[in-house]
Amino acid sequence: MKLTVPVSNPEEVEMLAENGAGEFFCGYVPQEWLDRYGGAFWLNRRGPVVGNLVQRDDVSLLAERSHAFGIPVHVTFNAPYYTPEQQEFLLPVIGRLARESGIDGVIVSDVGFLVSLRRAFPGLSVHASSVMATLNPGMVDFLEELGVRRVIFPRSLGVADIAALCDAAAGRLETEAFVLNEGCVFEEGYCMTTHRSVGALCVQLPGVPHRVLPLGGEGAESLAGEGGERARELMGAFKDWVWFQNGCGNSMSPDGIPNGPCGLCALFDLARTGVTSLKISGRGTSSYRKLVSLQMVRGVLDLVERGAPREEAARKAVALRNTPKFCEARYMCYYREAAS
Amino acid sequence: MLLTRHHQEASPREGAGHGVEVGLSFPFLVAPPPAVLRGEASLEEALGGVGSGDAHAALAEELLRHLPGAAPSRVYVGNETCERLLPTPQAIGSWVASAREGRLALSLVLPPLSRDGLAKAEEAVRALEGVEASEVVASDWGTVHRLRSRHPGLAIVLGRLTHKMLRDPRLAEYFDSPQASAPARAALCRSGELAPGFRALMERYGIGRREVDPFLQPLEMDEWESRSEKLSVHFPYLFVTMGRACLLGSMHGEPAERFVPGAPCRSECRKYAVEFRLPVPGGNGAVKNLLNLGNAYYHAVPPSVAGRILGRISSSRQVDRIVVTVPTGGHGGPK
Repeated sequence: MKLTVPVSNPEEVEMLAENGAGEFFCGYVPQEWLDRYGGAFWLNRRGPVVGNLVQRDDVSLLAERSHAFGIPVHVTFNAPYYTPEQQEFLLPVIGRLARESGIDGVIVSDVGFLVSLRRAFPGLSVHASSVMATLNPGMVDFLEELGVRRVIFPRSLGVADIAALCDAAAGRLETEAFVLNEGCVFEEGYCMTTHRSVGALCVQLPGVPHRVLPLGGEGAESLAGEGGERARELMGAFKDWVWFQNGCGNSMSPDGIPNGPCGLCALFDLARTGVTSLKISGRGTSSYRKLVSLQMVRGVLDLVERGAPREEAARKAVALRNTPKFCEARYMCYYREAAS
Repeated sequence: MLLTRHHQEASPREGAGHGVEVGLSFPFLVAPPPAVLRGEASLEEALGGVGSGDAHAALAEELLRHLPGAAPSRVYVGNETCERLLPTPQAIGSWVASAREGRLALSLVLPPLSRDGLAKAEEAVRALEGVEASEVVASDWGTVHRLRSRHPGLAIVLGRLTHKMLRDPRLAEYFDSPQASAPARAALCRSGELAPGFRALMERYGIGRREVDPFLQPLEMDEWESRSEKLSVHFPYLFVTMGRACLLGSMHGEPAERFVPGAPCRSECRKYAVEFRLPVPGGNGAVKNLLNLGNAYYHAVPPSVAGRILGRISSSRQVDRIVVTVPTGGHGGPK
């Protein structure tokens, strides 16, 4: 399995390549886009500027340095949708990135844009973003017919689902699953909210006034007594879960390792699903976090690939994280069913 | 037999106001609500009763003001966000019989489907075969692809979850701000569905109808009218977001087993909802409602928004149906 690693600066390439990155993905937001849309409409899922390159020369340099290590680079154009005018603007941008900057492909979310992109650049590698929410084999078939090279699975899929979809995709599409950093409380492909100005809705929710209501009708149940206590307990647990999904409140371990959603101890099982790449997310994070994330995944994956048993790999994962109470809580896990 | 507001008899199409079809959606019901399907409940009663003070009461008033004589002619079964609520083939048989008795057409609603869910959905779809005027509402392109491949004659509707546009109730009313640049405003008030690639997909899959939300921001004219497919507009709830891990479905689980996507539940969504009150940025204490129904979150749009959209519908070439979601069986929504 290759490790797909975020990169947001050409200076990060050598460091990440020498620590085991197998593939890079980055974002590019040209100034003209910012002039047109300001911060109102993000070109990709990290925006409007943080975590992105804004000079095409930097993309060219990043690609050149990556290729020197034999590492391909894909660029994210994965906003949930683009209007017709935006698509007209972006197609030439992507054309220049492919022809002149040497990128290897793009990551997209908008199915209509995917069709236009394939028509315009039939030789360009296209990865279907997790925002496309590939949950079933029908979607694998759909994406193959549209000429996608890789499907990136959403965070909500469990190991068994990933295995089944990898089986469906085998020999037709490459596959990619999340392994570290950044959660999503909701299903990313069906979340119509914006993080702009007001922050993530999911992070806000546990802190706003709310009440659990009985629905009218024959199925109504009172929330008095035990039911009310259960509802209060539920909302407390919801607050905890959101906190874990949000990078454990953006905290760090005693070793200075940023906390957050993690699939390290599921690597043994993931390796048996047939998934071809593992994604470390976090284009907008520091170079240090990118490096330490890569080192942690590489450390456990090397053990798995050398034939270590499941328990040993899981112990190593928990030791590397060095946040045993967070691991025990299990709310930090991408793949809770596979967590040890 | 259907009853209009004034308890007059009406056929399904004739009963609809201005040729606009009215569908009632019951996303949490196991069995059909007999009074509604037999036409024994007026539209107001089906929506929970005027004067109940909820979103449906206000909607009923707006609806009948803009579409006088409107009466349900179609019923929707199934939930758009949770596959655990997928009706069994037996349940569909019961809905088909009830709908036929009430001279109502039937739509089967499918959520974004997992691998197992897709297999079960195909069984449900087979139970609809041969039912006149029936259709299937799909909420992901994988389901569209599979159904079209295996059921070439099936009427497939694109569900609103596939209509990619921002609808964050905290900010959506600012999307049309005069302070924003024209390109930014345009981008927030229209989708990418008029672009050539999306048009090609609609043609390839033979999609003749798409569902849209009651957007808080005013959609551009093209978004409504420059399509080849017909439009259905949902009321009164604007879909905001969903998770495959369910808040209410975690009510009875052990702590470590909560919020797992697709985990077993006790169908708590049929008994409870959670209402959140979101502060409006710069709103001096004003709040927006956000209603958690099942594993999804909705915003009940205010009467002014419903009125604005309903006003447009009566003169629209493309919008010929509204879909009203009733969280319970016509006994009233969350109070």
